[in-house]
Amino acid sequence: MGFAGKKKNKITKPLLWFVLIAVAVIQIFPLVWLVDFSLASSTEMFTNGLLVIPEKIQWGNYAKAFADGNFLLYLKNSILINGLAVVLVILVSIMAAFACRRMRWKLSGFVKTLLLMGMMIPIHATLLPNYKIYSQLGLTDTVWALLIPYVAFSLPQGLFLMTSFMESIPVELEEAAVMDGCGIYRIIFQIITPMLKSSIATVAIMTFLNNWNEFMMASTYLSSEKWKTLPFSVLEFTGEYSSNYAVQFAVMALTAAPAVIVYIILNKHITKGAAMGAVKG
Amino acid sequence: MKKLYSNKLVIFSLVLPGIIVFLFAILAPICLSVYYGFTDYSGMGAYSFIGIENYRQLVHDEAFWTSLKNSLLLAVGFICIQHPLALIVAAVLDKLGGKAEGFFRCVYFIPNVISVAVIAYLWKFIYNPDFGLLNNIIKVFGGKGDINWFSNETAIWAVLLVLIWHGFGWGMLIYYTGIKNIDPVLYEAAAIDGANQRQTFLKITLPLMKPVIQVNVTMAVISALKQMETVYLLTNGGPGNSTQFTANYLYQQAFKAFKYGYGNAIGVIFIIICLLATVFLNKVFEERDINPRRVKGAA
Amino acid sequence: MKRRILSILLTAAMAVTLLAGCGSDGNKDEGKSESADGKVTLKVFSNLPDRKNGQGLVEQMIIDEYMKENENVNIEVEALDEEAYKTKFKAYSMEGMPDVVSIWGQPSFLDEVLEAGVLAELDESDYSDYGFISGSLEGFKKDGKLYGLPRNTDVAAFYYNEKMFKDNKWEVPATYDELLDLAKTIKDAGIIPLAMDGGDGWPMAVYLSDILYKLAGSDYASIVSEAVSSGDFTNENFVKATELLKKTADAGLFQNGYDSQDYGTAQNLFTNGQAAMFYMGSWEASMALNEDIPEEVRTNIRMFTMPVIDGGKGTAADIAAWNGGGYGVSANSEVKEEAIKFLNYMYQKDKLSKYGWENGVGMSAQDQTEYMTGDETELQMQFVDAVNDAASVSGTPVNDCGPSSFKTSIESQIQNVSNGSISVEDFLATIGKECK
Repeated sequence: MGFAGKKKNKITKPLLWFVLIAVAVIQIFPLVWLVDFSLASSTEMFTNGLLVIPEKIQWGNYAKAFADGNFLLYLKNSILINGLAVVLVILVSIMAAFACRRMRWKLSGFVKTLLLMGMMIPIHATLLPNYKIYSQLGLTDTVWALLIPYVAFSLPQGLFLMTSFMESIPVELEEAAVMDGCGIYRIIFQIITPMLKSSIATVAIMTFLNNWNEFMMASTYLSSEKWKTLPFSVLEFTGEYSSNYAVQFAVMALTAAPAVIVYIILNKHITKGAAMGAVKG
Repeated sequence: MKKLYSNKLVIFSLVLPGIIVFLFAILAPICLSVYYGFTDYSGMGAYSFIGIENYRQLVHDEAFWTSLKNSLLLAVGFICIQHPLALIVAAVLDKLGGKAEGFFRCVYFIPNVISVAVIAYLWKFIYNPDFGLLNNIIKVFGGKGDINWFSNETAIWAVLLVLIWHGFGWGMLIYYTGIKNIDPVLYEAAAIDGANQRQTFLKITLPLMKPVIQVNVTMAVISALKQMETVYLLTNGGPGNSTQFTANYLYQQAFKAFKYGYGNAIGVIFIIICLLATVFLNKVFEERDINPRRVKGAA
Repeated sequence: MKRRILSILLTAAMAVTLLAGCGSDGNKDEGKSESADGKVTLKVFSNLPDRKNGQGLVEQMIIDEYMKENENVNIEVEALDEEAYKTKFKAYSMEGMPDVVSIWGQPSFLDEVLEAGVLAELDESDYSDYGFISGSLEGFKKDGKLYGLPRNTDVAAFYYNEKMFKDNKWEVPATYDELLDLAKTIKDAGIIPLAMDGGDGWPMAVYLSDILYKLAGSDYASIVSEAVSSGDFTNENFVKATELLKKTADAGLFQNGYDSQDYGTAQNLFTNGQAAMFYMGSWEASMALNEDIPEEVRTNIRMFTMPVIDGGKGTAADIAAWNGGGYGVSANSEVKEEAIKFLNYMYQKDKLSKYGWENGVGMSAQDQTEYMTGDETELQMQFVDAVNDAASVSGTPVNDCGPSSFKTSIESQIQNVSNGSISVEDFLATIGKECK
C-alpha cells in the first residue's frame, strides 16, 4: 500500500497515529492494570489513581496463584483437550469433506448440509440435555464430556473450510493416483492432506480459538480436578481467596498468560489463519 | 475411477465419524430438549407431560422477552458501534505499513485470546463504583467518579461495552483482511483520477467490502443471540433481569429454579430463533457471491 | 513458515494423543469407589471454597485428620461458593451425587431434594449424645425422618468497625431511625455506611426477613407460611417491610451499586476499611482471625443485630437466627456406610463444633459450653451473648421458605424493588405468583 502512503498530507498522519494509539491503549490498558495490581498488596487496590506503584512487589501473589490455582494441571488439561479436539476435527472434517466433495453419491449434498447445520445451533442450548445424556452414560467428569461437544461444534466450520479448500485442488492429481492403483484412503491421506496444509492450520487455529476459553461446559460437566481446564482456576480462586484481591489478580494474569504469549510469538500466522477462516472460507 | 469414487462402503466409512458426532452431540440433545420441553420435569424425581403449557408460559414470561430484547440491542450495538470503528481502524491500519502495522494488529487482537472468565472478572473490577478503574479515570479528569455502572438502566450498556471491547480485534481483523484483498490496481486508478483518501475509502473500499461487511453483520447477530458466558460471569442477568440473555436464562431456570422442563422449552425456542435468524440473514444476503453461513467463531 | 507451524502442530497433536492414551488407562481404576484392597474414596462436595480460613479450614482439618486415622480412606473435595454450589448441586441431584454434601435445612433447598429421594436417611437416635441444640434438627426432617445434620446456628448481624465508629464518635444505633440517620452521617464523612452483597439477592432477602421479624414479632412465622402457601403477600407487614427496605436503600445505607456486587466485593469493602458496616451472617465471625484482613480492621470488628423499628412488635431481644447449613449423605452412594461414618466423625463434639469455635467461626448447632476457653474473640462472645440473651429467634428467612422458583424470583426481584425499578406492590405480586 505504499502508493496510498504517498498521498498522505501532514495533518492526517499524526491523526492516524493518534487514533491507532488510542485504540491500542483502550485494548491493552485493562491488561496493564491487571498486571499492575497483581503485583501489589490487596489494600493497595483501594486507590483513586489509575495505577499503583506497589510499596513492595508482591511476587508471592503469583507463587500462591501458581500453587493453589493448580496452574500446571489445568494448563496440561487445557492443552490436552484442545489438542485432541483439533486433531479430531481435522481428521473427521477432511474425511467428510472428501466424501461430500469428491465422491459420487446421491445424498452427498444432504449430508453436507446436515453436518453444516451444527453451525446454526447455539451451543448453550445443548447444555441441559447433554448433561442428562452424559450423566446417563457416565461421561460426566471425563475428558469425553468436553471433547465431544468441542469437536461437534467446531466440526461444521472445519468441514466448511475443508470443502472449499478442496475445490481448488485439481482432480487430475487424483486421477493419476488412481491410475497408479491408490485406494481412496491413500488418496486422502497421502495426496490430498499434504496439499491442505494451510487450511489445516486455519482449521486448527479456529478450533483452538473457539474452544480454548470455553467455560460453561467445563463448569457444568466436570467436577473433580482431573480434567478441569484453565479458565476454571479463576472461578475457583475467587471463592478460595475471596478476601485477597491481589492474588485473584495474579491468578487472572497467570491464566491469561499462556494464550497471550503463544499468540504474540505466532501472531502473524494466527491472525492470517483466523482471517482466512473468517473471510476467505 | 468412477467405480472407486462411488464405493458406498468407503463413502460410508468416511462420513460415519462426522455423522456420529452430529447425531450424538447435536441431534440427540435437541430431541431430548423437545421431549423434556413438554414435561414439568423439575430435574429429578417423577414428571408428567403437560403439553404446550411450558410454551404458553414462555409467551408471558417477561424475563424471556427481556433476554431477546437484549440480544437485539447487543446486535445493534455491535453493528452500529463496534463495526464502524473496526472498519475505520482497519482502513487506517492498512495505510500504515511496515512494522507498526503488524504491531498494532497484534495488540488489537490480544483481548480475543484471553479467556472470558478472566475478562469478565477483570471488568467486574473495572466497573466497581468504589475503586474500579473506570470511575478512577473519571476522577483523574476531575469528575466525581461515583457512577454505578451496573444500575438497572446502564447495566446492559456496561455488558455491551465489554463485549464490544473483547470482540473488537476479531471484527477489525476480518475487515483488515478484506481490505488487504482489494486489488491495489483499483487504488492506483483512483489515485490517477485524483481521488483523495476519503473518496477512495467511500467509493472503493466500502463498496468492495460489502460482502465482508455482510459476513460480519451476520456474525454479530448470531453471536449476540448466543451470548452467555460473559453475562453469566459478569452480572448473571442482574440487577433484576435487566441484563438477561436467553442462554443464561435457560440455564438459570433449569439449574437454579428447578424447572428443567421449562429450561428445555426455552432451549427449543432458542434453537428455532437462531435457525430463523440465520436463514433470514442468508436470504437477505443471498444474491451475494459470499457465503454468510460461516457464522461461528464470532467474538 | 507454514510448513514449520504445521509440523509443530502435528507433533503436538501426536504427543497429545499419546498422553491421552496414558491418561485414560489410569482413569478406570480411580472411577471405582472401592477397590479390592479395601481402599475407599469418599467424595465430599462442599460450599466452602476457602480452605484456609474459617469454616472451610475447619472442614479441611477434619478431613485431613480422618484420612490420617483411616489410612484406607481417601477423601476428595470439590468446593464451590454458595451460588455455584447450589446450581451444581441441582445438576448433581439429577444424576448421582458425591457421597457427602453440604445441604441447607430449609424448604427452598431441601423440599425438592428430599422429594427426589437423593439423600440418605440418618438414624436420629445415633445423635442423642451429640449435643444438638433442641429444635436444630427440625429443618432437616421430613415426615419425622432425619436426612441431614445442621452445622451452624446462623445469626444475621451488622458487623461494624469499632475503631472507625469511635474515631468518628458514631454510636451503635438502637432504633431503625437512628440507623438511617447514622447512614447519612457516615456518608457525609465520605465513607460507605454499609457494604451489602446485593448482587446475590439472598443477603438482601435475609435483610428483608430481619426487618419483617422486627415488625411482625412472634407473628413472623405464621405470616410467612401463610403467604407462601397462598401466594398472597399483601399482608401489611410485608408491604411495610419492603417499603422500609426501599427507604433504606434510598437513604444510601448501602454502597453505590450494591445491587450488582457480589459477596467478595462487599466483604472486601468492609475488610479494607472502605465501609463502616457489613451485613452478613454469623459465619463471618472468623473475619476476626483472618490474616488476609489488615490487622487494624480485623481486631476491631464488632457486631450488633437489627435495631428495633418504631411501631414494630419485635423487641431488641428477638433476633433473626436459624439453623441453615449442614451436611447430608447421598442416598445412592456406593460407600454409604463409610460416608455416614465420616459424617458422624465430623459431628463428634470435639470436631466440627469445637474446631469451628477455636477458629472463630460463629456458633455451631451443638452445645458449646464445654470448650469455652476465654480466648474467644470479642466478636464471638458478642454472638454468644446475642443468642443467649435472645427472647426468641426468627427461624428460616423468607426467601428460603418457599419452593426454589420462589427463591429465584424473590432474590432477583428484591434488587429491582430496592433500587426502585418496580413498585412494592408489583414486587409482592410477582413473588407471590411463584408460590402458586
